[in-house]
Amino acid sequence: MTVKQMDPASLNGWVDGLLLNRTVIGPVQKGDKFVFESLSRASDLRLDYDTTLLPPKKFLLPSREILLTFRGDSHYASQAPPDPFVLLGVHPYDVAAIRQMDRVFSEKQVDTHYMARRGACTLVALDAQAVSPNNFAGCMGTATVREGWDLLFSRVGGAYLAEAATEKGESLLRSAGLLADAAPGQLEERDRLWESNRQAMRRHVLHCSPQDLPGLLSRNYDHPLWQERAERCFSCGACNVVCPTCYCFDVQDEVDWSLECGSRCRAWDGCLLRDFASVAGGHNFRRHSAERYRHRYYRKAKYLPEMTGEIACVGCGRCVDACVARTANPVEVYNTLLGD
Amino acid sequence: MPRPRVAIFDFAGCEGCQLQIVNLEEALLDLLRVVDVVEWREAMSEQSDVFDIAVVEGAITRLEDEERLKRIRQKAPVLVALGSCASSGGLNKLKNRMAMSEARRLVYGRDGGVSRLDTAPVKAVSEVVKVDYLVRGCPIDRREFSYVVRCLALGREPFIPGYPVCVECRIRENACRWQEGEICLGPLTRAGCGAACPAQGAACLGCRGTCDDANLEGMASVLAQYGKSREELESRLAVFLDPDGKGVSHA
Repeated sequence: MTVKQMDPASLNGWVDGLLLNRTVIGPVQKGDKFVFESLSRASDLRLDYDTTLLPPKKFLLPSREILLTFRGDSHYASQAPPDPFVLLGVHPYDVAAIRQMDRVFSEKQVDTHYMARRGACTLVALDAQAVSPNNFAGCMGTATVREGWDLLFSRVGGAYLAEAATEKGESLLRSAGLLADAAPGQLEERDRLWESNRQAMRRHVLHCSPQDLPGLLSRNYDHPLWQERAERCFSCGACNVVCPTCYCFDVQDEVDWSLECGSRCRAWDGCLLRDFASVAGGHNFRRHSAERYRHRYYRKAKYLPEMTGEIACVGCGRCVDACVARTANPVEVYNTLLGD
Repeated sequence: MPRPRVAIFDFAGCEGCQLQIVNLEEALLDLLRVVDVVEWREAMSEQSDVFDIAVVEGAITRLEDEERLKRIRQKAPVLVALGSCASSGGLNKLKNRMAMSEARRLVYGRDGGVSRLDTAPVKAVSEVVKVDYLVRGCPIDRREFSYVVRCLALGREPFIPGYPVCVECRIRENACRWQEGEICLGPLTRAGCGAACPAQGAACLGCRGTCDDANLEGMASVLAQYGKSREELESRLAVFLDPDGKGVSHA
């Protein structure tokens, strides 16, 4: 499909039209930060946001969700499939993270709850118009992405360019009515925006290629850095919670006052939390904070890449933003291991 | 299955945690279907010496209270400490920072010398008798209390978070109080409240006690990074996490 153009007012009008018959989730302001939220009107959208407190994963893998409800007579019912929704304004690094989550939840054991939400979602990406203070997506190759979205918006001068990559995206864009094709000059401007974002999203500069990270970690399991940096770590899991590629969860059953009926809930868990690696019998595989601190980086940049070929960090910088102790900066960790 | 008999007792405190139970409102009727409340001074006149679960609210501040608590424990197969005062001594422990004569004078003025107003350093319930379960918070969280009651009725171990408040605070996308220039005890405090105070724009005061392995030492470097003093931190720790100034306890 050819790239189309849309002025900002038409884009808002189009979103208001979508809101008449479906849920649209997009970035809105909260205090002096931004969050993804279900919109009530297009004028609340802040497409100029730099980043959000939580990544959009909260709409695909909710922080807490009921997997099934049960009754005492061994009857149980799975949750109803979600209604279709539009996830609008997702920055490229978050699109890259969602692609990684898609693989986690669809390979081998298919997670029906995640995949149902993913199937119901039309993913509308947006090239970033502002760069958050700790973003290093440019170093991770995720400042721009050419796949993973249904529709991509890019702000070029006074207009938005819209490019559909899937039937879902095309169909959504068709609902905007007849749109003019993007002019060649606008496409060149979009190329320049991409190049500019690749350069700007380097608030922290990684001194090696992401592909070198698994090898770097292999050589540094006993490096003193793990203990030193963990001494400031509260094991509070903020880095896990705000991470767009963290997908670990815990499952608990809860009963209501009948003591017979209830629900099976899953909730986000995080490898920095002490009980994460506790097992039956009371043993904990990572009892000490430094072991958990180290594990997070090994998981992101060695264990998962060895299985999937991709570093499980997209450089969004949210962990750096969220860490009260300022000890969660991955670029600082890797550069220190590099001896820089 | 017979309903477990529950007796609710109160010691030194504001009775706000018992009030939270009353505030269950409609759910109180559900609760009464699950347990048989045989004694509860705040809400009924009946008394009983026979119960399966004793719920104890408040801190222990007098020697005769210690004796009363020990008698309750002897009769109770299971004992639950309710709220911050019972769990850790709570605000009452601020008294322990001064001489008892000074505490009497501050509270009762000229009458402070009267012998019946005699008082002792404040203790948490667990400093006097064995406690089986803690329902923390100032006040307690009604949902958590209800959950613990259902677990006890089922003979199931309740799952209470061991991790810090920050987990719940980040999930709610609250503004971080540290980044707003305040000292927040969320990183040291046990979650389970849903980060209720930061969600209202107030720093965590630590009413649920310390989380597992609270990293107080790590707080020192954080203070420096945010330009805060040790004294500012200690004045906040004094409220719940280190009320008697003996160091952060791990209740």
